Amino acid sequence: MTAAVVVTGGGGVGKTTISAALAAAGAGAGMRTLVVTVDPAKRLAAALGVAGLGNRPTEVAELPNLAAAMLDVTASWEAIVHRHAEPAVGTRLLANPFFRAIADRFPAAQAYAAGEQLAEHIESHLWDLVVVDTPPAGGGIDFYTAPGRMRDVIGGRLLRWLTGANLPGRRALYKVTARPALKLADAVLGGPLLEEMADFLLDLRTLHDGISRRSRAIEQHFAEAGSLVVTTTQPSPMRETLRFFEELPGKIGPPDFVVFNKQLPAAWNGATPLRGAEISSEQRTALRDNLVRWAEEAHRQRDVRQDFITRYGSTPIIIPWREQTPTSVAELVDLIPDVATVLARLATS
Amino acid sequence: MPIRAALRSLLMLDRKLLFVSGKGGVGKSAVTASLAIVAARRGLRVLVIGMTEAMGISGHFSVESVGYAARRTRPGIELLAIERDAALDEYIRLQLRVPRPAPTKYLTRALGVLAETAPGVREIITIGKPIYETWRGNHDLVIVDAAPLGQLFSYLNAPRTIADLVPAGGIQHQALQMAETLRDPACSGLVLVTTPEELPTLETSEALSHLAATGPIDLVQLVANRVLAPLEGIDMEMISLPDGPHRAAAVLHASLHAEQQRWLAELPTDTSLPYLFGIRTAGEVTEHLAHIWDAML
Repeated sequence: MTAAVVVTGGGGVGKTTISAALAAAGAGAGMRTLVVTVDPAKRLAAALGVAGLGNRPTEVAELPNLAAAMLDVTASWEAIVHRHAEPAVGTRLLANPFFRAIADRFPAAQAYAAGEQLAEHIESHLWDLVVVDTPPAGGGIDFYTAPGRMRDVIGGRLLRWLTGANLPGRRALYKVTARPALKLADAVLGGPLLEEMADFLLDLRTLHDGISRRSRAIEQHFAEAGSLVVTTTQPSPMRETLRFFEELPGKIGPPDFVVFNKQLPAAWNGATPLRGAEISSEQRTALRDNLVRWAEEAHRQRDVRQDFITRYGSTPIIIPWREQTPTSVAELVDLIPDVATVLARLATS
Repeated sequence: MPIRAALRSLLMLDRKLLFVSGKGGVGKSAVTASLAIVAARRGLRVLVIGMTEAMGISGHFSVESVGYAARRTRPGIELLAIERDAALDEYIRLQLRVPRPAPTKYLTRALGVLAETAPGVREIITIGKPIYETWRGNHDLVIVDAAPLGQLFSYLNAPRTIADLVPAGGIQHQALQMAETLRDPACSGLVLVTTPEELPTLETSEALSHLAATGPIDLVQLVANRVLAPLEGIDMEMISLPDGPHRAAAVLHASLHAEQQRWLAELPTDTSLPYLFGIRTAGEVTEHLAHIWDAML
């Protein structure tokens, strides 16, 4: 049985670091663990040994039981197409500019690729724990809705407006493209584009049954996986985080874990007297002013966390603000105690 | 502030069209909103446009929601967010001068599919709106809370992409005019926001090379956000302090500051905005930053 955790959160909150730390914790507890990162900082990627690697898991030399992979969206989509399409159709699709536009830039396609990786690694039964860091563009809530949206795009919405409910043959499709509305589309985009698009839609439609089945399997994995949201107490990431509680689809439910990263000690108090230091009064003033500023920040953080707990009754995991983000496996290992509660709760659920 | 930066700051609000971008999470919506407030205080009629998502900008103006129709949010400032279908409809009617056909909804849906899949179409529709509003001239300044840095160039380059893609004619002409407006430094400019951390710095640095190489728009200003001031009067290595919050806060500040300086040295930043301590809402961030810009500009 493979446990899986999907890690989401807004930009700049430390999602990748937390994912890697959680994976290190799993490995440290003797679980065969895989972390799939998306866009790691170069130094962290180098530490994990995934710099320049793709979807294939690679052992992390310094930490037994830990392997890492880096999401390669293009390669994932090539594999998806080859799996679901006949060889000739697959080759044609991969060469089609519309398809490349979808695979490269459609955020749902990126998120779908990450979901596909998650599903494959769970189904391989090679791992006790799989941790997936999510793409920034399709991050947050959109990650969970990506399979449904891909199904929509590939399945029919694209074709239905052209054809009505039924799947037409190639000739019938060209006939409907003679409609006046499409004449206008033609004027907007130029003739050859529209023809290319009709070809593309027909080829794409052949993926539908495969992707439809697969995307439901991915959604099932999402529903069974633990969901972990990383946030800071800054206004923007907090707004993203609250969306998870308001808008996540019922099947996924509210997040299992909320991690507040970059937190200051709530006990900091600007009025604390400074004793036992033999320093000038200027230095004393500077130290006091500095503590006053940071204590104010610490209190704001505490209030934001308290509001969150009152509103959602969920106990967040609190990670202290560190001077530097970890850049080596040894520094990741230092973070393990902070995320240990996640592991413990995963084990009992 | 160095002279070059001061000059740039002065000139920034003279443009008619400003795009504000940066890696996700660096505070580009806050910078957009605060610049808009400063411009409005100087008597400019300002239109703020949320380009790819409305949540950031609405939060920073403390409004519940933003729609496609421009709405006055405070004196001198109107606010709108781009909605794909509405923007597409407008693009067809106004930019391409196609009269509104009877089944508009059907047509918009049809073209909406193209917008999702055809290279450059969604992008040109999105970037077409601020350019169109600039042409229309109902405002003195159009300021755009633009797509995050990772997607920015696919939008800025869209007019050229489309011009290369379609045959000569009305659309190509229109797309070339858009590219011209973006490239004109007397009219348009880009404000890049970053924070002194590893990933934003690297991404910004890549964007700067890309800008220099392809030049779809003039860079007006590179802003470093959430910058910590040095811990004046204390050299942590020289003094010994007992354990406790004073020491912990000083160590944290000093090391964060040193790390920030390291990343700041990698970029030719024009302006530094300070880290704001104890701020609770996005609206407060906007007010504080507007205050700081006011003192600088």
